[in-house]
Amino acid sequence: MIDNAADLTLDELRLALAPAVADSAIFDGWTETALLAAAEMEGVDPALARLAFKGGAMAMVTAWIESIDAAMARDLPQEVLASRKIREKIRDLVLYRLDAVAGQEEAMRRALSIGSMPQNVVASMRGAWRSADLMWRLAGDTATDYNHYTKRTILASLYSATLLVWLDDESDNKAETRAFLDRRIENVMQFEKTKAQLLGGAGGSERERFSPVRLLGRLRYPAR
Amino acid sequence: MKDHIHRMIRVDQAGEFGATRIYAGQLAVMGDRGPHSGEIAAMARQEDEHHDAFNRLVAERGVRPTALHPFWSVAGYALGAATALIGPKAAMACTAAVETEIDLHYSKQLDELKDADEDPELQGMIEQFREEEREHHDAAIAAGAEETPGYPLLSAAIRLGCRAAIRLSERV
Repeated sequence: MIDNAADLTLDELRLALAPAVADSAIFDGWTETALLAAAEMEGVDPALARLAFKGGAMAMVTAWIESIDAAMARDLPQEVLASRKIREKIRDLVLYRLDAVAGQEEAMRRALSIGSMPQNVVASMRGAWRSADLMWRLAGDTATDYNHYTKRTILASLYSATLLVWLDDESDNKAETRAFLDRRIENVMQFEKTKAQLLGGAGGSERERFSPVRLLGRLRYPAR
Repeated sequence: MKDHIHRMIRVDQAGEFGATRIYAGQLAVMGDRGPHSGEIAAMARQEDEHHDAFNRLVAERGVRPTALHPFWSVAGYALGAATALIGPKAAMACTAAVETEIDLHYSKQLDELKDADEDPELQGMIEQFREEEREHHDAAIAAGAEETPGYPLLSAAIRLGCRAAIRLSERV
């Protein structure tokens, strides 16, 4: 029940109503029927609910994802995650999202098919990027170079792969999904390790490689 | 979020990064064997501090960094190395040209921020950094930047490049 529905801005109302819409969408799909059922359940004026979601199905799906983002930021802020290792931070954030939508597999399945319609692809990708961005910020990421982009790309694909496994996972407590997620994170850590070795990283390796610029510099400015 | 402030921080972080790469290119060529190597190394250290300060701001404020980062890395380094290879005075001409543009750019930002009376933290940083960039410019002129052959052409080309880089980094 949303007490002060009439006082909320449309943006706030969308976020507040979205989880209930998702519950209804399990049976009715992301339709107006689901929206009105949710509005009734939460005591929101149906006309107001229609106005808030005049973007249709995709607006409902987007609001649902945003409501999960907001809950995640509230329950797992940087300070809470700070003491954990980076792989644990990522695992906990991903698992938080999956736990938040537990039992709503059917709604998620339908949301994914709406999101993959041609007219919605751009909005879906933007949403996935925003979620991945938020997760990295909560994990305390401070990358200011191209890693900012690669990290978000990798996390978004890791998350969507895990989500697909989660959809069809009938095991107890989603054990298969957890194992899958751990293996994917392990892959990424391995890749990052190899990358760090290739790029040289720590300590003096800059000097060990041949550099034409340094050679030319030696010729242009001989030792005095 | 205030988009225009984010844009300012993004382009400033990119610019200071580019500056560190220019000096890195010059120092890779000159080592400590050039006539002004010590001065250039000191300027490079200052640019590193500016860059660190903007990195901190990018992280704190959740600003998206420029996607052109790898490109500025290569372009800045190449500009520094190329001008240093032409000669010590050309290297200084490069510094003078770049710092002229940075000075103009920072002054413009500062005016905007002061007019709107916002973000004193950013104002303070820009004001301090601008002073230091001006010192670099004056040091470069004193070291004979203008005596390099083809100075007007070289300077104009570099300044044009800087202006394009600033435009791009605000957006991309």
